[in-house]
Amino acid sequence: MRNFYGVIVVGGGHAGAEAASASARAGVRTLLITPDLSRIGQMSCNPAIGGVAKGVVAREVDALGGLMGQATDASRIQFRMLNRSKGPAVWGPRAQCDRALYPLAVRRVLERLELLDLFQDMVSDLIVDKGRVRGVRTPGGLVFGAETVVVTTGTFLRGRIHIGGEQGMDAGRAGEAPSLDLAEGLEGLGLEVARFKTGTPPRIDGRTVDFQKVERQDGDVSNYRFSAYAREPIPEQRPCWITWAGKDLKSVVLENLERSALYGGHISGQGPRYCPSIEDKIVRFPDAPRHQVFLEPEGLETTELYVNGLSTSLPPDVQLEIMRTIPGLEEVVMTKVGYAIEYDYFPPHQLRQTLELKQIEGLYFAGQINGTTGYEEAAGQGIVAGINAALKVRGEKSFVLGRDEAYLGVLIDDLVTKGVDEPYRLFTSRAEFRLLLRQDNAPRRLGLLAKNRGLLTLQQDEALRERLEEENRLLHWFRETNIEPARVEELLSDADSGALHQPVRASELLRRPRVDGRELLSAMGKSVQGQLAEEALIAVEVELKYEGYVRRERERAQRLREQAGFVLSEDLPYLEFLSLSHEAREKLAGVRPATLAQAARIPGVSPADLQNLILEVRRLKSSQGSTLAS
Amino acid sequence: MVRVSGPDAGVLLCRLASDLAEVPEPRRATLVKLQDPDDGSSLDRAVVTFYQGPASYTGENLVELTCHGGRLVPSLIADALMRAGGRQATPGEFTKRAYLRGKLDLVQVEAVADLVEARSRAMHRAALGHLERGLSRRITKLREGIVGLEAMLVHHIDFPEEDDPPVPVTRIVDEASWIIKEIAKMLRTAPEGQLLREGALTVLAGQPNVGKSSLYNALVGEERAIVTEEPGTTRDALEVAVQLGGFPFRLVDTAGLRDGGERIEQLGIEVARRYLDSADLVLLCVSAIDRLSVGELAFLSEATDSPVVLVETKIDLLAKRDVDYGGLGLPVDMREKLAGHLRVSAMTGEGLDQVKQLLPELVYSAVVSAKEEVPVLTRRRHALALEVALSEVSDFTEALADGLPAEVASTHLRAAATALEEILGVISVDDVLDAVFAEFCVGK
Ligand SMILES: Cc1cc2nc3c(=O)[nH]c(=O)nc-3n(C[C@H](O)[C@H](O)[C@H](O)COP(=O)(O)OP(=O)(O)OC[C@H]3O[C@@H](n4cnc5c(N)ncnc54)[C@H](O)[C@@H]3O)c2cc1C
Ligand SMILES: Nc1nc2c(ncn2[C@@H]2O[C@H](COP(=O)(O)OP(=O)(O)OP(=O)(O)O)[C@@H](O)[C@H]2O)c(=O)[nH]1
Ligand SMILES: [Mg+2]
Repeated sequence: MRNFYGVIVVGGGHAGAEAASASARAGVRTLLITPDLSRIGQMSCNPAIGGVAKGVVAREVDALGGLMGQATDASRIQFRMLNRSKGPAVWGPRAQCDRALYPLAVRRVLERLELLDLFQDMVSDLIVDKGRVRGVRTPGGLVFGAETVVVTTGTFLRGRIHIGGEQGMDAGRAGEAPSLDLAEGLEGLGLEVARFKTGTPPRIDGRTVDFQKVERQDGDVSNYRFSAYAREPIPEQRPCWITWAGKDLKSVVLENLERSALYGGHISGQGPRYCPSIEDKIVRFPDAPRHQVFLEPEGLETTELYVNGLSTSLPPDVQLEIMRTIPGLEEVVMTKVGYAIEYDYFPPHQLRQTLELKQIEGLYFAGQINGTTGYEEAAGQGIVAGINAALKVRGEKSFVLGRDEAYLGVLIDDLVTKGVDEPYRLFTSRAEFRLLLRQDNAPRRLGLLAKNRGLLTLQQDEALRERLEEENRLLHWFRETNIEPARVEELLSDADSGALHQPVRASELLRRPRVDGRELLSAMGKSVQGQLAEEALIAVEVELKYEGYVRRERERAQRLREQAGFVLSEDLPYLEFLSLSHEAREKLAGVRPATLAQAARIPGVSPADLQNLILEVRRLKSSQGSTLAS
Repeated sequence: MVRVSGPDAGVLLCRLASDLAEVPEPRRATLVKLQDPDDGSSLDRAVVTFYQGPASYTGENLVELTCHGGRLVPSLIADALMRAGGRQATPGEFTKRAYLRGKLDLVQVEAVADLVEARSRAMHRAALGHLERGLSRRITKLREGIVGLEAMLVHHIDFPEEDDPPVPVTRIVDEASWIIKEIAKMLRTAPEGQLLREGALTVLAGQPNVGKSSLYNALVGEERAIVTEEPGTTRDALEVAVQLGGFPFRLVDTAGLRDGGERIEQLGIEVARRYLDSADLVLLCVSAIDRLSVGELAFLSEATDSPVVLVETKIDLLAKRDVDYGGLGLPVDMREKLAGHLRVSAMTGEGLDQVKQLLPELVYSAVVSAKEEVPVLTRRRHALALEVALSEVSDFTEALADGLPAEVASTHLRAAATALEEILGVISVDDVLDAVFAEFCVGK
């Protein structure tokens, strides 16, 4: 422990762990302060990583050198590739993790980083001087100086938990103290604050479930790894279970609705539409005959199950009663009650694309504090904030990903440009360039970017080089190999694809529906061996199979980039641009977009406003220096 | 009427109307005395209405002064306003301001321009429809349909673990084919819409002396072309814009077609042939009292791209003399190729009404017969964008049929939506998500 750091990270959740490790990897001395070192990387809710879009984010964090992929591989006890039946561009790797193993893996990786110190304490205040952050203070009066500070305190700022209709209690997570001083301190800096809510379902004792009555759901048999760089041993695998809540549950919920904190009017914050509580589901979709409930294992060494789909703020007795209406859970014993939590967040239009606050130099926010929800979203912001804080200390230019480069680019651009009106989660439909942002090509998309900015460890550099070499070898083979009709006669007829009459390139054949890359290779006497080669093959195959479409998306992205070329300086007097609508003026002054393309994405800014904006900016440039008589 | 737009419009008014203590209440007509701002001499008594921005045509503060007519009074008032601090508007400036204030979309702006320039009732009507958002609304609806299609596909991509199965491909294809039909229906009006803007090029052709110029003058309603008893009177093509039944035509009189003749006449015939090549409609004039000549028969049997109407001229002569002329001798197979067969007399005016009725029906059939309100595409820009949208949506259904994954096929939908957005100018992906949430119960 020292008195002064390049980067101090406040909070050891998913955002904090990634931010701290990223800045340490980037060569900057870093301190991570969090109230309980044993809970670094703790999963507040469902111990599952990935999913559609979110799984790609986990891969992106990994490709940038982050922890999330490696920790997931080391703790996953069930894996499924979602959307396997659809095209590979939207495959979503999802892992159920062991709640205990995940933080252990995070801790292990963190402790290997030479430039990172860990310290167990709360931060009660930031030291800010002349619009620039200088350090942090603890409740006990310790002071740490810093060039930059990344705040990642999740749901802890003035967190308040609700179980049933009573008043609620202050907490950052069940059983953990909220952050009150820090919340006040941040608000005192003149930042805008708002409130969101989210919820978590009850947990149950697996020994009290009648497994005859529920459906077993096994994971994929697969050695899939989220990490492209590290090769963690994968734990033993476990099944999940599915059951369905029917009309009995519905009537119990309706009878007790006024006892719910959500419906009793005790919670003001806005919650996410796509992660509704069971109360919400029953009220909003009264005609749905049944609701799916997943029972998911919390770990290898425990029988505890997570009841996915039953997030609720009903009182404990009602929680038990509704669970017991569900087939298989008639005799169930509850181990933890579900609850709703409301907390402060800072509307993210106050941030730059680097996640640095516009108002306070050197101060960065990442994770749920910015109005997002989900581990992957938090981790993704954490790594980007950590990288940028470190680059600032190194005196280098910032690291910003485009919407066509990464879901992380989409995420951060949405946050700072559009703001949030409910807890923000990623979906594939938020991305304009779905086909480019795939889980398979994350290393190619982002690995080199990270390497070139000196953000990877030596070991990661080496693994990336091997991976890309393998991909290039395969790409070359498919593009340059001519295939004689006789060699693929059987393969084509099996794929229900027309026979060849003359030799064609392998890449061309691959473009046909149902023609498989691996089979093509083996028909030509080549085999794919080892996980590296398999992963590279998937990436190459997708890239080639949809080459025409991928190219079109790239062209579209290029056009957008051109718009991004119109740079808007940060000090434009938007409020004086009277030719713009009132709403647009206010929005632009709030967001202060960096480019015209970003301005175009701000809700409430019309095409007409954009045209006027161009005119106003040009007018301003030409009139600088001379005064205009009016 | 004189109009003033801008933040200071009301202030300018007060400088001229000394009996106004302040800007009048918005949207209420007030009678005021107008005086010269410099010497106070009286200009006129006028009814003025003040509109407070943004609730005005331009979206800015706006004053309308209805003064006495003629040329002098309005120009005196305009001159006084300029001395009081105003400025002469540039052409189209009011509309441009309205657009820049977001009061009109791009299609409406174009419609304003069209209204000003409209040379026929039909074009006027089409432009008015566009100004009232007929076209914008249609395109917005189509775009919503496309966004909805994508939402149907995306729903299952983003929520694969939900209980409800993916939307069946057949439903998506049905929905897409509705959109395709809609766009195709709109595009069918495009060729006529183009004609509506320019006028349909209608060429009167025939042998010398059959009465083309006489018919031409009768249709134009003015003696534009010289008429003599001499064959070969018309030497050069003559073009004039007219309205027939409210629809725009560009009528062309040409030199009579024949071999021989002097050089000037031959040059005229050259020009006539060139007009015939680009004609939207040809009126082949033949004399009702003669049998069809070899040349005329040849003309009829030659395949022309444009529809041909056979016009028998000088039918008054048929009635005058009590002689049986034995008809034209028109072969049956040629009769079928004709777009129409009319009989007129430029001298008595008989049959002229039928010409005026048939021509719009032939050229503007889709517009005339459109019972429901299909907006007519009068601009190339709109038609081009809709063509792109149409081919993208068709490619989309084809891609689905080929078994391409939904997210790959949906790139076509994004391209289609973008094409439509470019007509109006809207850009946002969030609409897709909103559509998803409005329609589906999503849980996990
Ligand atoms: C009850 C609940 C339900 C949830 N449900 C869902 C869900 O259904 N779906 C979903 O996708 N996501 C859900 N989440 C969200 C997910 O857990 C978070 O988005 C994610 O963990 C956020 O990561 P973070 O790093 O921003 O913050 P967190 O993981 O919350 O970490 C914050 C860290 O900051 C530390 N800290 C707090 N205050 C201070 C301080 N003053 N000084 C130093 N350290 C401090 C804390 O101890 C903690 O380590 C839920 C979260 C909660 C709490
Ligand atoms: N009785 C009668 N005479 C007509 C009629 N139309 C034209 N004529 C006469 O026919 C002669 C030729 O008429 P034009 O209109 O000059 O014929 P054109 O086809 O233009 O001739 P060119 O220009 O020489 O090719 C003139 O003497 C006209 O008066 C008609 O409807 N009835
Ligand atoms: Mg003539």
